[in-house]
Amino acid sequence: MTFANRGFFAALLLCLTAPLGAVDLVVNESVPLDTLSRSAVRSIFSMRTTSWPDGKPIQVFVMGDRTELHATFSKEILGVFPHQLRRAWNRQIFTGTGQAPAKVETEREMLDRITNTPGAIGYISEELINEQIRKIAVE
Amino acid sequence: MSKYGRLPLNSWGACRLLTLGCLLGSALAASAGEASSNHFQIHGFLTQAYVKTTDNRFFGDSPDGSFDFREIGVNTSYRFSPELMLSAQLLSRKAGDMYDGSLTVDYAQLDYTFHMSESARYGTLLGRTKNPLGFYNDTRDVAATRPGIFMPQAIYWDRVRNMVLSNDGAQLYADNLHGLHRFNLSFFAGKTPIDENVEKTYLDPMFNASMDQNGLTIGGRLLYEWDGGRIRLALSNAMLELDSQPNLIPPGSIDIDYWVLSAQYNQGPWRLTAEYMEEPINYKGFANILDSVDTTVDGYYIQGDYRFHNDWELLFRYEQSHYDKDDKYGSEISAVTGLPPYNFYSKLWTAGLLWEPTEQLMIRAEFSQVEGVIFLSNLENPIPSERVKDWNLFSLLVSYSF
Repeated sequence: MTFANRGFFAALLLCLTAPLGAVDLVVNESVPLDTLSRSAVRSIFSMRTTSWPDGKPIQVFVMGDRTELHATFSKEILGVFPHQLRRAWNRQIFTGTGQAPAKVETEREMLDRITNTPGAIGYISEELINEQIRKIAVE
Repeated sequence: MSKYGRLPLNSWGACRLLTLGCLLGSALAASAGEASSNHFQIHGFLTQAYVKTTDNRFFGDSPDGSFDFREIGVNTSYRFSPELMLSAQLLSRKAGDMYDGSLTVDYAQLDYTFHMSESARYGTLLGRTKNPLGFYNDTRDVAATRPGIFMPQAIYWDRVRNMVLSNDGAQLYADNLHGLHRFNLSFFAGKTPIDENVEKTYLDPMFNASMDQNGLTIGGRLLYEWDGGRIRLALSNAMLELDSQPNLIPPGSIDIDYWVLSAQYNQGPWRLTAEYMEEPINYKGFANILDSVDTTVDGYYIQGDYRFHNDWELLFRYEQSHYDKDDKYGSEISAVTGLPPYNFYSKLWTAGLLWEPTEQLMIRAEFSQVEGVIFLSNLENPIPSERVKDWNLFSLLVSYSF
């Protein structure tokens, strides 16, 4: 394989994988973690796990089911469709065993709420990451 | 009619009050929910269905087209801390002649988690709690979490819904994650409501029996999930004993043991679900007159769902119910009772369409072809000779939840 060819394939690979990395799992800087297992992330976004390892409450923020960012996050990070996640919330909301996540309307609002809410977790587009919030790696 | 948590309101009063509650709750949730830190939440739902059958009454005067299927619920929850939550739901359910829409306390409970880590959660629910049986029992009255307009009757009978719906007592739960494996165990014990639907199902209406529960209902569910629910398996059980004082014959008691085996496979837009139910019923006392009608009721369904578009889903379901698993099509019991065999089994084919135009709104249309009448209520179809063996069922449902 020539160098040019390799470059082409590398670029192609980047193009193909770029959408997968386009959404990042982020937390408020008070959260004492750098990584979470996929199962733990699912459990948090299914509203079953309600506290961080230090005992502080988890605050989950999501965007609307029909937004592209939420759909990408659901499918790529959690591995479920938005309607499946909503059913999981409904099962708990209507049996009194869990609460719904807080909904934000825009990505800007998501960023503000995660920056300003202790214990917050949510997701944003990769390019919006700043110093006041922390990216969490999903193992 | 229902002796269970009933408040002194007629059904229209309950309906109007809850509708008002829904609207207020919806407005409150919209104004407060967005900005608050989520400790206090209000949710609810409003569901109205239309039911049309070619023969037999199901959820009202369905041969003429019935609107007597309506469910309205409002709930509130307050989370004191990650470990402690208080919640309650009021429900009005109109279901033909089976449920009259009276206001009931659907659940009112305290949820206390005594251990929580990234991979485990152990706790208890105290108060009136919904019984986790099969995949759907605890959310059976909420259209947004039901697998169709009607629950699969082979497992979740509407004619005896209250027998296993909820109980006044306690639940213990344990949730464990090991990599991709999740184990969820619930165990419950408490008093179960007994209503006229139960009385008129477990003994022939001509006995006009009153029933009381002896002891507690005890039950539980073990649920296993792999890879976030790609595969789900569950085994559920509930046991209870009913003391009965019938007219015409001496008193006795009825032992009921309810088992459900459940399996589901989720793959992208596809979902395949199957559940099997077995319910041994043992009549004791009654001067041994009823010993010969001891039976094991069974039933199963298989359902496929396909999400063919973001907001659209197709469903297909086949279900069968038998009064006696060893006499599936009722020939022996028919010879004993003189009733035609189709009173003792049902077979249903269902095709349906779901549309969710918004996060809150759901519209369903379903068509079923039915043979047999076992799941029909004695309250709605009291005269055996008027029951028709082959019939069709068409239904529409609109539900709003917030």
